[in-house]
Amino acid sequence: MDQPVNPPPPRSLPRLRRPARRHHPRRRLVALAGVALSLVLTGCSGVEPRAAAGGTAAPAAAVVSGPLCDLLPSGSDPGNPASLAGQPAEAALQWLPVLTTFEAAVRASGLAADLRGGSGLTILAPTDDAFAAKFSEDTLDQLLLVDKDKLRGLLREHLVAGSLSLSDMVAAGQVTTLAGTRLTVTGRETSARLADRADTVCADYRVANARIHLINRVLGDLPTTARADGHRAH
Amino acid sequence: MRNRRTTALLSVLLAASLAAVATPAPAQAEPAAVTAQTEPNQVHGLTVVQGDGYATLGWTPVDGATDYQIERTPVAVDDSATGPSVITGVWRPNRQINNSSPTFADAGFNPGARFQWRVRARFGTTEQPYSEPVSGTTSAPWGDPNVPGENLRTQWETTLAAQYTSDVDEYAYTAAIDELSDRVRVTEIGKTALGRPINMFVIGYPTPPATPEAVAATSPLMVNCNVHGNEPGDREGCLIMARQLAFSNDPRTLDLLSHTTVLIVPTINGDGRAANTRGNSTGQDLNRDYSLIRQPETFALMQMLRDYRPVAGYDGHEFGNSSAGDLPMLPPRHQNVAQSIFDESQHMIEGHMYTQGARDGWWPCPYGCNGGGNVGLSEETILRNTLGLKNVVNSLLELRSSGGTTRPDEGNTANNRRRKAYSALWTFNQFLDYHRANLKEITSARADAITFQVSNTGRIVFRGSRPIEAHPAPHPGEAPPPLDAPQPDRILNDAPCAYKLTEEQYHGARTDGPAGQRTTVAQRLAAHGWKVVKVADGYVVPLAQPERGLIPLLLDGQAVEKMVDAERLYPTVTGQHSGQLVVSGVTCLRDATVTGPVRVRPGAALIATGSSIIGPVDASGAAGVFLTDSAVEGPVRIAETSGPVVVVDATVTGPVEVSDNRGDAPLVAASTVTGPLHCGGNASAPVDLGLGNSVQGPKTGQCASL
Repeated sequence: MDQPVNPPPPRSLPRLRRPARRHHPRRRLVALAGVALSLVLTGCSGVEPRAAAGGTAAPAAAVVSGPLCDLLPSGSDPGNPASLAGQPAEAALQWLPVLTTFEAAVRASGLAADLRGGSGLTILAPTDDAFAAKFSEDTLDQLLLVDKDKLRGLLREHLVAGSLSLSDMVAAGQVTTLAGTRLTVTGRETSARLADRADTVCADYRVANARIHLINRVLGDLPTTARADGHRAH
Repeated sequence: MRNRRTTALLSVLLAASLAAVATPAPAQAEPAAVTAQTEPNQVHGLTVVQGDGYATLGWTPVDGATDYQIERTPVAVDDSATGPSVITGVWRPNRQINNSSPTFADAGFNPGARFQWRVRARFGTTEQPYSEPVSGTTSAPWGDPNVPGENLRTQWETTLAAQYTSDVDEYAYTAAIDELSDRVRVTEIGKTALGRPINMFVIGYPTPPATPEAVAATSPLMVNCNVHGNEPGDREGCLIMARQLAFSNDPRTLDLLSHTTVLIVPTINGDGRAANTRGNSTGQDLNRDYSLIRQPETFALMQMLRDYRPVAGYDGHEFGNSSAGDLPMLPPRHQNVAQSIFDESQHMIEGHMYTQGARDGWWPCPYGCNGGGNVGLSEETILRNTLGLKNVVNSLLELRSSGGTTRPDEGNTANNRRRKAYSALWTFNQFLDYHRANLKEITSARADAITFQVSNTGRIVFRGSRPIEAHPAPHPGEAPPPLDAPQPDRILNDAPCAYKLTEEQYHGARTDGPAGQRTTVAQRLAAHGWKVVKVADGYVVPLAQPERGLIPLLLDGQAVEKMVDAERLYPTVTGQHSGQLVVSGVTCLRDATVTGPVRVRPGAALIATGSSIIGPVDASGAAGVFLTDSAVEGPVRIAETSGPVVVVDATVTGPVEVSDNRGDAPLVAASTVTGPLHCGGNASAPVDLGLGNSVQGPKTGQCASL
């Protein structure tokens, strides 16, 4: 690189995660004893379009739902749901910070182009936490670097033909992955449960020709190799 | 990295929604004293001080409090809430070494945003009233947006931490800093297996010294930011710190850079970073390869250490333990590491980081902190230990990536990334300050270590750690790492004098390392900077040299992860020897007393440790001369040696001449010479590794400044 970069100027306004609550603008929530350390999420994510921070209403297409959504880029942040709407799936994945493993897996698998083609696709993308709970670091490196066929098989367990919204999936009651596995879908408040095993944690990212639903478990039948205590060597 | 958690959020969401209760509007950031009445057990004296990417909260302790909860609310300029309040952490007594002044570093927010904070005590699970709120605007990312150079930002910063800085963006950012700051020289120390450049910032004021040797003379310090490709948090902290060091004109920065040189290696594992893998492109965990250096990445770093000779280091990682503190740290523990290096490294962690952590609210602790598992041990393949075996004061750093009982459970989100990256930035800046304030102690520890190592005394331990004792309660180190004492079959009480390698062992083709990029043992030992004596029937690696503790771990058949199974050479002369000693072949003196002259014949090698020679030493055309931890009564002349010359911790009553030697730079250090010291005509000027010598007579020629 010979040329210095000229990055965009930093944002001048403090970042606003979400607008003030309309009905109780001066109220705040107090954390419950016992759940105090978890983030207290107050919104009913996904039941209505959220206004962008700059005051511009986000298009209805940008509605995402699930408990994790509030921790992901929102409003006018880089990577907010509306900004991903026209992007190819493999590009959109790069903006979802909790999908670094899945995103790397898509790149490593050579399936990126497949995500764009056809008559639409539903992508059930496990979070980094889900991958960490499933595989040891050795297994992950092996999948990403060596066992590409196995990796493609694993990814197909997370792909469904057709661009299905959360409500489409719930209405259908089941979907079949490209790997041929049938997954039951049970609706919950702002999420769905898949195969009685995984929950969507932020669903309904609309991207070009596809829907991305973030899920909290790795699907498929590869053996679990993560250490039970979750510790990894340095 | 990271841990599981997302399902818990659902239930929390429900519970929290049900439990929403109205609370009074937040007060302005007026002193709490103006409040008319206070409630029992309410926290008082809340203060908030802004740092780079974090805010330090401090308060007056409440009698009887079990712990404290810290609450943060985003607010507008008029301090009206603009979003929900969150509990961003819990302060516990084991968090810091002094409980009289609790502090908490709140991080995990967009720098520049405005917040209001409150703190409340808990008695068991019973919450006490919140403190009066304090609001403040957090510090924006460092650097004036209108000043060239200062206005550079990484990809991680411009995307508000949604994306990590890519390799391409890192190279552009690095090149821009290089171009815009006179203080910075970016040098490529090697390439990854896939050919990505491995860059290093060399930073000094007003300019960095021009050559590696000149940098070495400033007792530099090093940060290795990112070895595991999927643990990029430290690297983001490093890139921001590089910008600060390059462009900040505050007195501290100028003072630091006026006294030393800062070496920052942002990404040794660019291939792993790009692929989001722990290992490099071959799947090799590079932090299990720093001794063996089978991979081009680790090979490059060892060459850099050899040439730039940092005296202190930090090695960045991330860690998924949910019950650990913020910043698990661990010194070099391998028992072959000199005691002085272990002690000084521990002092840096427990003496400095614990103290500064208690001041700024971060929570450093030993590796694992609490239930760290069977990790943090003695593998010399781990950089922490490799550095220690190279006499570098250092620590490994983990950035806690998981939530848990004391930090929010937020997954790999932007705020989690910010907490990690800015806690790394804090640590690395503390490391610079420690180096600045304790350089004399660090270099003294290094000198002691080198003189110990070259003496080749004490047992060899192939695997086994020095114990780390629990720090007294209340403390951040109640659960130290496992004992990891050496097993009997991992101990060699009678250390050899040297190892001898065959031609095949030394120059033969290897099968380890990436195809097409494999290196020979000769190349690897050279990268480590070891002194090797070529003799008629092989190659001799004496232990009487600064990295003595590492040598058997690579060359002894008993070693756990050896490079070759080389022949042990044991001393040939011990006890009393009267009359002239003529050295031919490889002669090894240990704890010997020679009464008479010692003459080293051409092509022969002398290795003397712990010995007394009453008489002159004359080596002309030798293959190698090692004289350590020994005394000579008489002149010493070492001339025309074809290989290495090592005179360290020697006491010579008489003149010393080191001249016309043809090998690498003779090492003349920590020696006492009662007489003149003259060096001349050596192919490479002798060096002292910063240890100096005590010479009563004149120092002349190439040794004038030793």
